[in-house]
Amino acid sequence: MQLTVLLQQVINGLSLGAVYALIAVGYALVFNVLKFSNFAHGGVLGISAYAGYIVANQLHWPLIPVILVGILTGAVVAVLVELIAFRWIRLQKGQLVYFFVTSVTMLMALEQVLIIRFGASFESYPYTLLKVKVIHLGELTISITYLLSLVLTIIAFSVLLYILKKTKIGIAIRAASNDLVATSLMGINVDQIIVATFIVSGFLGGLSGVLYGISASLSPQIGQIVVKGFIASVLGGLGSLKGVAMAAVALGVFEVFLVATIGSGLAPVVIFLLMVTFLLVRPQGFAGVSFMDKA
Amino acid sequence: MSFILTVALSIAAYSIAVLGTFMLTGMNGLFSLGQAAFMGLGAYVSAIMVVNYHLPFAVAILIAIVVAMGLAVLVGFATLRIRQDFFALATFGFGQAVTGLMTEMVNVTGGAMGFSNIPRLTTPTIAFISLAVAIVFVWGFRRSHFGKDSLAIRSNELAAKVEGIDVFKHKLTVFVLSAAFAAYAGALMAFHTRYVEPAMYGWIASVTWIIIVFFGGRDSLTGTVLGSIILLAAPEALRFTTAWRTLVYCVLILVIINLRPRGLFGTWELSLKPVINLFRPKKHQEVQ
Repeated sequence: MQLTVLLQQVINGLSLGAVYALIAVGYALVFNVLKFSNFAHGGVLGISAYAGYIVANQLHWPLIPVILVGILTGAVVAVLVELIAFRWIRLQKGQLVYFFVTSVTMLMALEQVLIIRFGASFESYPYTLLKVKVIHLGELTISITYLLSLVLTIIAFSVLLYILKKTKIGIAIRAASNDLVATSLMGINVDQIIVATFIVSGFLGGLSGVLYGISASLSPQIGQIVVKGFIASVLGGLGSLKGVAMAAVALGVFEVFLVATIGSGLAPVVIFLLMVTFLLVRPQGFAGVSFMDKA
Repeated sequence: MSFILTVALSIAAYSIAVLGTFMLTGMNGLFSLGQAAFMGLGAYVSAIMVVNYHLPFAVAILIAIVVAMGLAVLVGFATLRIRQDFFALATFGFGQAVTGLMTEMVNVTGGAMGFSNIPRLTTPTIAFISLAVAIVFVWGFRRSHFGKDSLAIRSNELAAKVEGIDVFKHKLTVFVLSAAFAAYAGALMAFHTRYVEPAMYGWIASVTWIIIVFFGGRDSLTGTVLGSIILLAAPEALRFTTAWRTLVYCVLILVIINLRPRGLFGTWELSLKPVINLFRPKKHQEVQ
């Protein structure tokens, strides 16, 4: 493979990986606090992507408001999901496994809402939203949509880092990730913190939904892309957001590269083998934070 | 075959796969997102054996089950030692890999177009007897020492290990068993619908079975069987429009799990004891 082609694939992979990283971090935030796999995050992402699509396609709003609509929708839907699917079980002190079951059910329900409203066909954001431009760098071409994904991901992560490290609510979220019971004993309102976590996760989900919709296409099954977040979170070492983001980017690059070389049919086979090898060699994940079950 | 019988046959076949998930997820607490891939393996291998190699039905099913169990041993061996999330992830990856291969190997499997012209060999008798045998098997499994070990591992793995249970071997055995159940169900379905395609065996199908187990109640075998009949029949019963019915189905599950967190049937089991007790002569009450 030529060097330029290889570099081109890396760039494409990075932009896909950036969107995966947004999905994965939004997913991992909830995992860290409530310790369950929140597949409903995919539903949040899907609804936001379509919300952005409606305002872009029917109201002809420009790019930035479209993205904001997506982000806000994400937060609202995430909070609704928390209320409908998780709040009641949590108050009844139900076991973690039930969260998983309701979260997958929510994913399927939200997918159905999209199918009922839009049909099972593929849609795409209007071309006028983002003038299709490519930037030439020597022999490399970089599409402006890819650049958008990269830039917005970096901005989103900077904001997230600021919130988690500097604000009161962010510190509370991190405390809750560490130990929910101890946090509540310290006099922090855990219910509020959980809602805040879902809001932040919804922001990220909404952004990733709109970005994925712009750079790829929309179909009601878009929510199932949450599995990329799941893969990246486990590979990245659950508990470390940095590791999760790194794993997501690596996953994106790998995927683009494999699809380009061996095709989309065999790519999952190689990814599976790589995944198992990785888990065997490095069970603590990318970030190296090892956390074992309580002994 | 009448419509009701056709639906009942599918429900019986799928219930066998759900029973496999009941053992794996319900009793052992292991989440496999690749269970449907074992069903796909069972369907494809048995169908190819019969259509291309003209093997007898029973032999083809046996080969399919052995293939699925062999792959389960490989996947389980590599991943069951490490943390449980890894098992969920690895089985998910395995499922994607299997459906990917089914799509890719066009000259063997027919690719995304599916594999058709499978003879209709699954009769209602075979399906219902199989389901009955499977139920009896799982019932015995739960009462056995081995099944009790499963529950011990689910509630506290470390404590189970301290008690002297070989946790890894135990999990591996249950995983292989559940894969065999799924593969058998897949073979039954393939010779019933006469057509298989890779898209039928994605991770959503595996997740649906997990939902069914929790819907009926993971502590109740009766609940799992009835839950699987209710939820598998629901899409047929809710015949307004295709899109709305899945939504209603999801809402139903959410309501049940919110209101009855231990599942529809909790720990209740169907048993003949109350009936037998009716006919038993009353014992004299002990003097306090």
